[in-house]
Amino acid sequence: MDSPAANAAFAKQISLTFPLLSDMNRKMLKTYGILKGYNVQDETYEWALRANIIIDKQGIIQFVEEGDSAVDPNTALTMCTTLHKKEPAK
Amino acid sequence: MKHMIALGLLVATALAAAPVAPQAEKSQVAKMTLKVGDTAPEFTLLSDQWKTVKLSDYRGKKNVFLAVYVLAFTGG
Repeated sequence: MDSPAANAAFAKQISLTFPLLSDMNRKMLKTYGILKGYNVQDETYEWALRANIIIDKQGIIQFVEEGDSAVDPNTALTMCTTLHKKEPAK
Repeated sequence: MKHMIALGLLVATALAAAPVAPQAEKSQVAKMTLKVGDTAPEFTLLSDQWKTVKLSDYRGKKNVFLAVYVLAFTGG
């Protein structure tokens, strides 16, 4: 896991406008089923998959992609735009 | 993006690299348990500003784009 300090340095370096989060206790990754265990010579090791998840304002999952397809965020970004357009104008 | 909060989750670590040893065996099929239409489980994570960020912070306010980005600091 990357620490908040490492993330802060990275965010500054590339001028990010959104928060970078650290799952230091891996709770979220486990809850979401993104952390996978692999056995190598009787030892279990864990690491996460790449994933894009879109959750709407009501807390409902609207989009999920994982693994290789999640490397390119464009499908998820298109979904974000669609979701935003569905919302009633204020 | 005004009404959308994007959350990048960097979980890169040297240990995150997939083992290339021939004895490596996947103990689970790498599939997420979440499905479209499910209620997203609550989570609390630490931001790069050392503040806790909860999914429920955005309930009723913003859509959330959660990008789980492993191996962020590698060339691959």
